[in-house]
Amino acid sequence: MKVPVSWLRDYVACDAAPETLAERLTFSGTEVEAVTPVEAAFEGVVVGEIRTVAPHPEADRLRICHVYDGRTERPVVCGAPNAAAGVKAPLATAGTRLADGTRVGSAAIRGQVSNGMLCAEDELGISDDHTGIMVLPEDTVPGTPFAELMGGPDSILDIEVTWNRPDCLSIIGIAREVAALFGAELRLPPVDFEEQGEPVEALARVSVDAAAACPRYTARVISDVTLGPGPLWMQRRLMLAGQRPINNVVDITNYVMLETGQPLHAFDYALLEDGRIVVRHARQGEALHTLDGVARPITPEMLMIADARRPVALAGIMGGAGSEIRPDTRRVLLESACFDPGTIRGTVSTLGLSTESAYRYERGVDPAGAEWCSRRAAHLLARHAGGTVAPGVADVYPGQSPPRRIRCRYERVNRVLGVAVPGERVASILETLQIPVVARDASGCTVEAPSFRRDIEIEADLIEEVARLHGLDKIPAALPQARRAPGVSNEAVYAHQACRRSLIGLGLHEIVNYSFVGAEAPSQFDAERRAEWIVLPNPVSADYALLRAMLAPQMVDTLGRNLARQVGTAALFEMGRVFRRKPGTANGETARLCVGLLGPAGRGALDRRRPVEAEEMFLWLKGCIESLGRAQHVPDLSMRPGRTAWLDASWTVEVRSGSHRIGVLGVLAESIRRERRMAEPAAVAELDLDPFVAHAFAAPELRPIPAYPGVARDMALIVDEAVAHETIDGIIRQAAPPELTRVSLFDIFRAEGIGRGRKSLAYTLYYRSAERTLTDEDANGYMARVKEALRKALNVEIRETQ
Amino acid sequence: MNKDRIEEAQAEALEACKAAETPEALEGVRITYLGRKGLLPAMMKGLKGLAPGERAAAGRAANAFKEAVTQALAERRRTLQAPAPVAGGPGADTSLPGRWHRLGSMHPVSRVIEEAVRIFGEVGFTVAEGPDIESAYHNFEALNTPPHHPSLDPQDTFWLDSGELLRTQTSPVQIRVMESRQPPVRVITPGRCYRRDTTDATHSANFHQIEGLHVDENGGSLSDLKGVLAHFAHEMMGPEVGVRFRPHFFPFTEPSVECDFSCHVCGGGGCRVCKFSGWIEIAGAGVVDPRVYAKVGYDAERLSGYAFGMGVERIAMVKYGIEDIRMLYDNDVRFLEQFA
Ligand SMILES: [Zn+2]
Repeated sequence: MKVPVSWLRDYVACDAAPETLAERLTFSGTEVEAVTPVEAAFEGVVVGEIRTVAPHPEADRLRICHVYDGRTERPVVCGAPNAAAGVKAPLATAGTRLADGTRVGSAAIRGQVSNGMLCAEDELGISDDHTGIMVLPEDTVPGTPFAELMGGPDSILDIEVTWNRPDCLSIIGIAREVAALFGAELRLPPVDFEEQGEPVEALARVSVDAAAACPRYTARVISDVTLGPGPLWMQRRLMLAGQRPINNVVDITNYVMLETGQPLHAFDYALLEDGRIVVRHARQGEALHTLDGVARPITPEMLMIADARRPVALAGIMGGAGSEIRPDTRRVLLESACFDPGTIRGTVSTLGLSTESAYRYERGVDPAGAEWCSRRAAHLLARHAGGTVAPGVADVYPGQSPPRRIRCRYERVNRVLGVAVPGERVASILETLQIPVVARDASGCTVEAPSFRRDIEIEADLIEEVARLHGLDKIPAALPQARRAPGVSNEAVYAHQACRRSLIGLGLHEIVNYSFVGAEAPSQFDAERRAEWIVLPNPVSADYALLRAMLAPQMVDTLGRNLARQVGTAALFEMGRVFRRKPGTANGETARLCVGLLGPAGRGALDRRRPVEAEEMFLWLKGCIESLGRAQHVPDLSMRPGRTAWLDASWTVEVRSGSHRIGVLGVLAESIRRERRMAEPAAVAELDLDPFVAHAFAAPELRPIPAYPGVARDMALIVDEAVAHETIDGIIRQAAPPELTRVSLFDIFRAEGIGRGRKSLAYTLYYRSAERTLTDEDANGYMARVKEALRKALNVEIRETQ
Repeated sequence: MNKDRIEEAQAEALEACKAAETPEALEGVRITYLGRKGLLPAMMKGLKGLAPGERAAAGRAANAFKEAVTQALAERRRTLQAPAPVAGGPGADTSLPGRWHRLGSMHPVSRVIEEAVRIFGEVGFTVAEGPDIESAYHNFEALNTPPHHPSLDPQDTFWLDSGELLRTQTSPVQIRVMESRQPPVRVITPGRCYRRDTTDATHSANFHQIEGLHVDENGGSLSDLKGVLAHFAHEMMGPEVGVRFRPHFFPFTEPSVECDFSCHVCGGGGCRVCKFSGWIEIAGAGVVDPRVYAKVGYDAERLSGYAFGMGVERIAMVKYGIEDIRMLYDNDVRFLEQFA
């Protein structure tokens, strides 16, 4: 809402500087986003009257006008098509600075003397209109300083009006705030006029068939209007407020809307069948051309203004082309009405059509004010459009209701604000806001909510008024008192934090991706569960078509994106929610953990040039998740070969906690990484997050520190490639006595000498007794049992190294 | 020279020892204090002129002087004579890069949330969480959103086919908490929210909020709200950061306020971060509207409470000087590793 300060001052006796107004308004809840000075001072511009027009001897497009400036006539060369004898227009005399910064000179144009310049609106900075010189009203006196007609320098307050305060979508509404803030007097504009001719009942008949959607409808009839431009000062104000002047009648309706917040509509009475106004819902098959020339598809829930035959306006939004004000309009039916916000909002959103009028109706217009605003417009129509106002008003007011009475208890004010505001101060704040106090006693006061303050419904609304007028800066900041609510704990949050810190300690960077993915983003990962994907009915873009059902696709994209930017090594994790629609259940959300590795992330700094291999990528990620599992006390974390569409079949494991499958881990399928131009293997794990946080603070089961020294024995096993470490480990553990404490693989070796298809695995076996120091003989005996078992089970060659 | 003067001289001598940078300079110090024509012999001679009571004390001080200065000279001499350290003797290059795996980093969004959890945790707030996919009741109606409020527009909210929606704020969690617990309630609700904004440098359709709610039989006033947000401002942005409040409108608080923090970068003088205003808009807040208590079956008469909410990305951006919100979702390792 743009508020010219000079206009505002018409209604409130306050001469505070615009910046002061802005500051006080902002800190009382009416946010002024900007104060824009209007420089147009029009110095050197006077009203000129063109006396004669003669062709320019040297140029077809130019003419020589003789312009009377109030004292003498002067020649002015002009190219405007509308320069004609008798026309009055702004004359910029020599030395005037125009809106674009150039100065008007006194020079010869194509050999002809031109003393000054006749101006178009854009040259004066009034609008961007450059179709011709600005034609001034006929009764304008030549020689009058143009500034006198247009008003001098000004300032515009750009105000953001909150949703609950539609009353502030008007200059008078803002003036009311200013009056309360500065203790200044509010002055309402005149609404008087003479009534003449046939009474309104003889001319117009109004009926409201949809009372719920139209609490009030008033109509006046103004006859004998003469269409023409509106008064200059009004045009100027409309332009400063961001509206385009059209003609005197339309300008007056717009002016009064900006002034009062009450949208008005002027119909050409002659085009209304039978002088009838019917407020009703649309009927099946009806159509309406709105005055912007568009044929609107009308549906029955839309509210219409109709005449005896057909709809003539989209109620509260826009008039119809068939009844609009035309140059030959002589009689006007003036609508000042109140419509239900929800009805208007529905139509606005169905049609995608919003107007200044609709904007106000959607937020709520004061039904009690409708008749006064109609009088205000009639006053202006009588003065500035030459109209005579028919006696009376057609006023249908089904929504009339008595004012709400609300009690404001001073104790409650103090309780809510946390500061003692004296009772007299509370009452006086409410009164300065034009909220009448109808009763008061020591403990509180009772007010009547004014009809223009539809937001004031309960005591809390009054307390808010007190807070913002008393001043939020006068409310002290109390030192916070730490007090826990009973029966609640932050443990789950801290468990998540611990998990995050463990991952960071493992060298991983945390990433955060959107909850949205493209429609086909998961198709290589999760196509068989496509039915569970949650599709957004109204996505913002095709890239955000689905809610993510897993984290891995975005992780893979993130790795690929980094690689494309020459970041060849990355170790990343994300903790986030995924979403799936399970048949027959509500939309399900699960917290997941995704880890992704790219490049030689697990190698030392001096060994990063060699290409990475699938096996080491896999083992790094496996080791990483095992470490995390230990840090977060995941019970019985295990991995066994698994299968999933997006991981390499050779390097995929299913991750389990006890017997629960909690996710998968492996090397990314080649087809997926090639598509993202990743030349080397990458590894990704997608896991449920819960097992990694559920036991975060579990106490360890403490074991005693060993009292006796242990013995270690090494052996190397040459076995077939197909023999898994897990198999060997299992045989050893089964054969060895309870004194075996640890089996550790310390070398893997492949060479010609070992034989084709064979490998050497070297292990250290640690033995220890809780009762005594073990001897060499003990260890030899244990090893003999282990070797025997290995030989029995496998095609193995054993070399013990000691 | 009495005892006090001698002790003063001792302090001065010890200082001089420390300051000597070469053996030659140190020898100079020795001559000044202990040399044949130095201070010590003069001191001893001077003892005779003192009153008998003072003489004993001064004598002891002189002996202590001699002992302390002698020892300090010896220590300093040893230091000055030690061989200068040489970087990398034969085969020992200590300038080689260290070898230990590097730590990862916490995403700025998580950093801000974790810090907020700590800051509010210190004054008694615990964390509550709720689903991203919410009912319209919890997201709007229970929060006293008028039925025609623009935020309900399909243009602004992601509605799902199920009739549910992606929460536009974390306030529905506050409703869920009040539905399930009796006052006092003191929670913060960090979480992910969604609005149908077109992504640009300052908007993202997917973002994070931290909201807070405190409802109590005593406390929970606008004054308490101011105190809690000031505490947060100091802890999150710096102890010199100030807060100011402007009245505003939110459906579920009344009075409603917006809270600005004074700019931690320029101290209020104006800079790019605060768009030259000296203030940064951080939080929306207010006293809980009694109509909300009615929805959850609380007795509005007995209670008072406040609520607040703020954007995590916005705090991260002003705190770390991130100019484009999209950086937070781009996950470029070169950006992330700076948060180690
Ligand atoms: Zn700044």
